Amino acid sequence: MSGKRKGRKTFHTIFYGFAGFLFLYSAYLFLSNVDQLFVTEAAIETREITSVWDQDREIMNQFAGGFWKDPYFWKSLNLTVVTTLITTLIASLVGIPTAYALSRHRIPRMALVEVLFSSLIVMPGSVIGICLIVMFNYGPLWKLQNAMGFRFAHSLFPGMVIASLVLSFALGLSAWKAAFDNVNPRFEQVARSLGSSRWRAFRTVTLPLAKSGIIAGIILAWTRAMAEFSAVLFFCGTFRELPPSRFSSFTKLIHMDQADWVSVAVWAQVEFGNIEYGFALAFVLVVIGGLSVYVMHRIGAKGYVW
Amino acid sequence: MIEITGLYGDLGEFHLRDINLTVNEGEYLAILGPTGAGKTVLVEYIVGLYKPDRGTIRVDGEDITPLYTEERNIGYVPQDYALFPNLTVARNISYGLEARRMRQEQINDLVDDMIARLKIDYIRHRMPLHLSGGEKQRVALGRALATDPRVLLLDEPLSALDENLRTEMAKELRRLQRAVKGTFIHVCHNFEEASDVADRIAIMNEGTIVQVGTLKEIMEAPKNEFVARFVKSQNMFDGVSDGSSIRIGQTSLVKENPFKGDVIVAIRPENIMIVETEHKGQNVFAGLVEGKQLKPYFSEISINTGIPLVVISQKEHPYDTGDNIKIKIPPENVVVLQKL
Repeated sequence: MSGKRKGRKTFHTIFYGFAGFLFLYSAYLFLSNVDQLFVTEAAIETREITSVWDQDREIMNQFAGGFWKDPYFWKSLNLTVVTTLITTLIASLVGIPTAYALSRHRIPRMALVEVLFSSLIVMPGSVIGICLIVMFNYGPLWKLQNAMGFRFAHSLFPGMVIASLVLSFALGLSAWKAAFDNVNPRFEQVARSLGSSRWRAFRTVTLPLAKSGIIAGIILAWTRAMAEFSAVLFFCGTFRELPPSRFSSFTKLIHMDQADWVSVAVWAQVEFGNIEYGFALAFVLVVIGGLSVYVMHRIGAKGYVW
Repeated sequence: MIEITGLYGDLGEFHLRDINLTVNEGEYLAILGPTGAGKTVLVEYIVGLYKPDRGTIRVDGEDITPLYTEERNIGYVPQDYALFPNLTVARNISYGLEARRMRQEQINDLVDDMIARLKIDYIRHRMPLHLSGGEKQRVALGRALATDPRVLLLDEPLSALDENLRTEMAKELRRLQRAVKGTFIHVCHNFEEASDVADRIAIMNEGTIVQVGTLKEIMEAPKNEFVARFVKSQNMFDGVSDGSSIRIGQTSLVKENPFKGDVIVAIRPENIMIVETEHKGQNVFAGLVEGKQLKPYFSEISINTGIPLVVISQKEHPYDTGDNIKIKIPPENVVVLQKL
């Protein structure tokens, strides 16, 4: 018994020690004037080349690229949060009833459906992205878009929602299905034998019992949507360098013009040599992701993520 | 009253074949059979969890086969009780009443009544997780009975309880059934349990009902070899009948029967009499005591009369291994079954 406890204590010490080290090291990298570490002659030259961003050049050499002073950062955050909320809403509205149906009804060739969704989860986003491009830019869906007069690919809406939805839905679905699988169907059967309608049995028994798993699934879908990178990049590309005339007045009104998906923006910044800015954006994503997982732990939905 | 006629169902692993069963108003019926006989599946068909392929289920004359579970008003206590873990004991009991949109005062009165009847007032605010097996069972019964169901189905209600509690709860179930004058169907795989609670017993095997009758009827006249074995007719032999007697090995047993040729003979161990050594007459055989065993409520000896017989009596036998004794098998106690 004591040996086991001692082993656990050692494990905790090592684990928290390592985690603490990682945190402090990243904090150090971020807080110490990272500029000095990374700004080399080559990087400065790269910045010179990207002279299209005239107004950025002043703030670029500031702490963390001076990202908070850049409207592009706030527009991108606005775009990402709003789009991922829409994605999560769609994933939940479709996914929760689907997961319930998959969990409760015997479906022929069920293994096939499960393999399909499970393999989606292990696919790289670039594969999802290219599949979406082929799906929407050729064949009947292409004709449909032509007839309707707008494009799915390379659009803020619905392009970004579609690209982030695929993996978000697949991951959410697996969590929701697990949540419903954990509730013995006997409860509903008994509830119905007592005169409850299916809906009341679901609402009063199954839903409360599956609650933490369902919330975990929603948070997973939201974090997965926010973490999407390559599918969005492949399917929608970047928007920052597009001229303002390409954006509708509504997009400008809601401050989403010339903005990028945050994780795409991280890549774009690093690509253009503004590593500090990219790192700051990454830090914002880490904070949002960490907070979401912390909320999951607080509502008792551990085990759905590590 | 519940009448099941010509019920067929196929659930992949389990098949029900031509189930015909009538349970009278206020009757306590036990469905008895080995594991895998389809007892639970039959109960699930009556509750309405599945639709049968063929056949009808009628309750008080109304055909309930096309109805959904929630429209049937049939009480159901599953094997694991399935108490709603998110609701207190009182809320579990009121669950069915709330579904009926009764007034709150009426619900409270009915719940109080049921709680008093089952003597579970001390746990009314507890959650099901913190209840013992016996308490869970009472709550499950209360929840099912609160809505005054037309029939109550109990799926192995005592199997999760320990031995002592089981006998006590069996008596309580019986008392409860008389008090509410309800029609109860109780599934079990234990002959003693069925005989403790039930007015009549239905024996089930391989998806069909083999025999229905009172305990006495089934013990005295089992319909086939399976039933005879299931109700513990320990002495069963293959024999050849000529209509008036049966030859088992070298022994000839007098018994009028309608069969000619290969038959199975079943003799209950309590129906074999030990007689004086001078006794003569029909079906009297000399034998050697080969073993003796004292059991909780009876003693059992094995005798070899050319055929190996088990004899039990409520008193301890005064014989020992190696004693020569005589036994008598009254012809009316011999059951002859056609060999299939």
